[in-house]
Amino acid sequence: MAIIEEPLALTSGEQHAERPLGVLTRPQANGSWKDWVSTVDHKKIGIMYGVAAMFFFLLGGLEALLIRTQLAFPESGFLSADVYNQIFTMHGVTMIFLFVMPSAAAFANYLIPLQIGARDVAFPRLNALSFWVWLSGAIFLNTSWIVGGGGADCGWFCYSPNSGITFSPTNGVDFYVIGLLITGIASLVSAVNLAVTCLNMRAPGMSLFRMPVLTWMLLVTQFLLAFALPVITVALLLLLFDRQFDSQFFDPEAGADPLLWQHLFWIFGHPEVYIIILPSFGIISEVIPAFSRKPIFGYSFMVFSGIAIGFMGWGVWAHHMFVSGIGPISVFAFSMATMFIAVPTGVKILNWLATMWGGKLNFSTAMLFAVGTVTMFTIGGLSGVTHSLAPADTQQTDTYYIVAHFHYVIFGGGVLGLFAGVYFWWPKVFGHLLDERRGKIHFWTMLIGFNLTFGPMHVLGLQGMSRRINTYSSGFGFEFWNLVATIGSYILGASVLFFLWNVYKSKKEAPNLPAPGPDPWDARSLEWSIPSPTPEHNFDEIPVVESQDDWWFRKYNIEDDGSVVRISSAEDAAQKGDAVGVHLPSPSFWPLVLAIGLPLIGYGVIFNLWLCVVGGLLTGGAIYAWVLEPVDDPDADGHGHDDHHDGDDPDGELATVGAAGDHTEGEG
Amino acid sequence: MKTIRKREKPVSDSRTRLLGAVALIGLITAGCAGDAELDTLQPQSDNARDIDTLLDRVLVIAGVIGVLVLGAVVYMAKKQRVKSYDGDDEFPEQISHNNTLEIGWTIVPAIIMVVVAVLTTVAHFSLNETEANAYEVEVEGDSTSWEPKIVVVGQQWWWEFRYYFTEDVDADFLDDPRNLPPADIVTAGQMVIPTGQEVELLVTSRDVIHSFWIPALNGKRDARPGFFAPWEISADEPGVYFGQCTEFCGLSHAKMRMQTIAMDDADFQNWIDEQMVPQSAPPEDPDDPVSRGATAFLANCSSCHLVEGFNGDEDIAAAVVSQAAPNLTHFASRTTFAGGILNTYTEDGEWNRDDISQWLRAPEVVKENYANGLPDGELPRGMPNLGLSERTISDLVAYLETLGQKPSAEILAATEVE
Amino acid sequence: MATATAPATDTHHDAHDPHATNTGISNNKLAMWLFLSTECLLFGALISTYLIYKTRGNGEVLPTDLFDIPFTSVSSFVLLMSSLTMVLALSAFGRNDLDRGKAWLLVTAMLGAVFMGGQAYEFTAFYEEGLGYTTNPAASAFYTLTGFHGAHVSIGIIMLMSLWVAANQGKLTGKNSETVEIVGLYWHFVDLVWIFIFTVIYLIPPE
Repeated sequence: MAIIEEPLALTSGEQHAERPLGVLTRPQANGSWKDWVSTVDHKKIGIMYGVAAMFFFLLGGLEALLIRTQLAFPESGFLSADVYNQIFTMHGVTMIFLFVMPSAAAFANYLIPLQIGARDVAFPRLNALSFWVWLSGAIFLNTSWIVGGGGADCGWFCYSPNSGITFSPTNGVDFYVIGLLITGIASLVSAVNLAVTCLNMRAPGMSLFRMPVLTWMLLVTQFLLAFALPVITVALLLLLFDRQFDSQFFDPEAGADPLLWQHLFWIFGHPEVYIIILPSFGIISEVIPAFSRKPIFGYSFMVFSGIAIGFMGWGVWAHHMFVSGIGPISVFAFSMATMFIAVPTGVKILNWLATMWGGKLNFSTAMLFAVGTVTMFTIGGLSGVTHSLAPADTQQTDTYYIVAHFHYVIFGGGVLGLFAGVYFWWPKVFGHLLDERRGKIHFWTMLIGFNLTFGPMHVLGLQGMSRRINTYSSGFGFEFWNLVATIGSYILGASVLFFLWNVYKSKKEAPNLPAPGPDPWDARSLEWSIPSPTPEHNFDEIPVVESQDDWWFRKYNIEDDGSVVRISSAEDAAQKGDAVGVHLPSPSFWPLVLAIGLPLIGYGVIFNLWLCVVGGLLTGGAIYAWVLEPVDDPDADGHGHDDHHDGDDPDGELATVGAAGDHTEGEG
Repeated sequence: MKTIRKREKPVSDSRTRLLGAVALIGLITAGCAGDAELDTLQPQSDNARDIDTLLDRVLVIAGVIGVLVLGAVVYMAKKQRVKSYDGDDEFPEQISHNNTLEIGWTIVPAIIMVVVAVLTTVAHFSLNETEANAYEVEVEGDSTSWEPKIVVVGQQWWWEFRYYFTEDVDADFLDDPRNLPPADIVTAGQMVIPTGQEVELLVTSRDVIHSFWIPALNGKRDARPGFFAPWEISADEPGVYFGQCTEFCGLSHAKMRMQTIAMDDADFQNWIDEQMVPQSAPPEDPDDPVSRGATAFLANCSSCHLVEGFNGDEDIAAAVVSQAAPNLTHFASRTTFAGGILNTYTEDGEWNRDDISQWLRAPEVVKENYANGLPDGELPRGMPNLGLSERTISDLVAYLETLGQKPSAEILAATEVE
Repeated sequence: MATATAPATDTHHDAHDPHATNTGISNNKLAMWLFLSTECLLFGALISTYLIYKTRGNGEVLPTDLFDIPFTSVSSFVLLMSSLTMVLALSAFGRNDLDRGKAWLLVTAMLGAVFMGGQAYEFTAFYEEGLGYTTNPAASAFYTLTGFHGAHVSIGIIMLMSLWVAANQGKLTGKNSETVEIVGLYWHFVDLVWIFIFTVIYLIPPE
């Protein structure tokens, strides 16, 4: 293991440089809103991801409530079929791509550098680029409500040929395609960036197998993203070319096979499930030990089962296609593969239980959410096993039983875990705690609302209620449970609003309460060894790591008889956060400018190719300016050399979009 | 594994299984309705029963695991709970791992999954064996050995069923879903099968992907354009079995339903005999609504819909995207229309003038479609509003009633959804 | 107990020593490796699409009917040679032999341009034979795959020319030859993809 000799400098490749044209300078942080739009600080970027994701959570939640309102009663005319189809499509797309994924990105951005003892990510400007590109894609996707003749109406899975121009003649699907391409660029850049960060930027002594489980799960997630996104990129581009340039990829009349889309989509789509769920697994692997007063049980099994899930996740995609007519042998193979992905998942659940076993359990809000994640995910996982039985799946697929299953996995396993993380790390990010009493009310209303909403869907599915139907007739036995689910969904919605109320009140009350200190939960990883909120430079001194759970061992010692002895208070052991003159990467506006160019190219493809020229010039100009920008504050006494191929990646990345972009500015 | 069970399974049985599957919400399943026509837990055929048995067993396994996990959590929450750690520097034993235990609980789930895999393998391959036997039917007076096989064609938003009694039906013979060879019987919305026979289906689509599903009789199979997916169906008892398209297929996906009627041998033969008879033009009589309706049919409907023996043969290409509209030759012999969402006869067994009239008057209100208000050059998807006068509508309703024999009272009663 | 190794105020270190990372590979190079591995999936999906569709002609002409193997072999050879000149360019920069380095960069870019000219000629010839982009699924898949590869080569040429300009301005020297190496990685990858495409798409005859 290489040890960083000069731990205080960024190893990011960010170098001082002359001003190549003598005109471009880096913006300076001065405390205004411009700090946020030009920031390259992983913490600010993480917060922005979180805030934006919360906004889209509310939007997706509103769409969910519209769906449930429509389905509350049979033959309801609350929404037309057309609007309903758009709403359920955008609900899925919003929740997956604009809420859960960026929420995980928020945690990844904020916590990976802190947990591995780094000052920032490997490529700070690319990090800012990821956020702004993601946000521009997210906004682009939702502008289809205003300028695209409505949202996409093809379902988030957007099967061809129903997504073709003949069957979906509005521009909704174009917005879906281009919006997801843009957010995909963001995720891919971010995946490369964060993976390099994990692999290259660890503090001295922080070997891979001393990394906290959260960082491990996030690293696996970045690899899944890196390999899954190119496949959906190809699928989306083929669909875009079909719709815009009359290519023949998905027209059955011309001899194309609709299964091509299904394979490409699910080769991405199944790893996507683990992209959604693994960050949450990581979060609760941090929370449960802290509130059990025990180390995580079976660290290496936890890590390897996560890696195993990551690998096996690639071999099961066709279980989404058991009734597509892919042939009995394929169905059999994928059925078997799917069953055995339950093994590493089961190992994880048992290890969480073993972590709690014998521990002193303090059911703080974060712990409640973490335990809620374990239990709700167990239910979702077990119903998942029933889908892996290919014969049984021919009854279940495309019914509400599936809807129930994946909400138990994604909401129960994913979103509850994210909330555990929100309560856990809130003091680290904002310097004050979220109120515990209100937090517990939030948890219980959310848990009850969640189970009332999605529990009945198991029954509805087994009773034969199809998915994606905008209405149902009375007489099939669907009335009662649909009404229950709708009531549940309103409780769920109320619990989210109550969370926001808790955020607001806790902030107001914070000045009158004692500060939480660096380590309010007596936790184990490095982010708790620095003040709350995190200082801008993260660490006064880059820690030298001597063991797994290094921070905990700075507070406690385990005696030979196994008893635990405190050797230092957290306040004494923690860094003070008062270092001055720490060299940090300078802000830059170019990521934002580049990100604004991409949706313009998107609008251009849909409406008028001249807009592509504008967007292309903006994007190309931004890359050009980015590359020529001095890579550090010119007022600092620069030395070093002008090596700024930092620009490689957005450039190469754009190459994968290929269709409409202007890639004229490359390596400078 | 086939266990013969009574047809009317006690409702509590399905409740018990749900309890196992979702232990946490077990309580609320108490109100689970028993009369769900689409219920997947009330199988009425060998295939559906095999699936149900498999699911039963795995639900029990899953239920036990679920109860153990949730039980462990509840137990620990009761036994090990502390209010806070303030001033409490006492720690539990710091156990970080136990390899034996962990290897154990990697292997145990793997063994459980092997058991599940074996059960699945047996069921999977038995379900994918086609067991259709030759079945004697009389077609136009000649006895024919028919391997029961029906071509199922989905399109937005209704199903067509085609019977070929004498040809060797396979993908080569059928070739193009949009240009299928003429069939002996073509029906829509309602498929009729002989009871107790394995019937092979070839499922395809004329536009987007649909999915054919009669939950009581078997799982579902996607109807994919350009491909004839083999599937199988059978019914233990005569009766009417409901289904719903389950692959999202656009605007009126929710209103794309279908039924399968299982008949005993004699009834099935009668049905064939009846369906094989073409219609003829009613005698001209300006005072007879049926006659006026026939004229109105020729003027308004005949460019898309076929009444064999009256307005031509199977060469009609409807001016919709799927190029197909339901064959109406024996319209009155079906109990459902408009893609399986409306009944042709009322609860009292009367001709359902109201719903048929409403359908002719404003189909896009009954069932949303992209038929009217389309840009130039775009074909509609679904029946357009033809702007028919009330008199024309009433004449057409009268004419349609003459197309085919009214179904039996039992079938009419069974079609009603309670 | 862990102790810090350097005082907080001593911040201006040159951290660009490639050995200052945990893996020993610089961030930039590792990022390029990761990026190229994602590109494998991109091309994998495109190549699979073509292989599925290569015989789906809808009654029209197929790309396989039109392949001119001798011509494409020559242009493939040209691209392959450009990998060699790329290696020579890197080695020259590594020796701080800037004149040679610049010359080899230029030759590499020129060879890439010749290959692109060959692709332009091929597309034109195919189009004149009746194989348009929208003719059939096979044609769409063929043009999309080879077009994507062409776009990658074009971006590579732009990157090479940018290096050449930077070298002429004195900003690219032997000290930062890693930049050349990273662009070289990209260039070799693009060549390698083409070898794969040429073998699988052009040389394996249709059944």
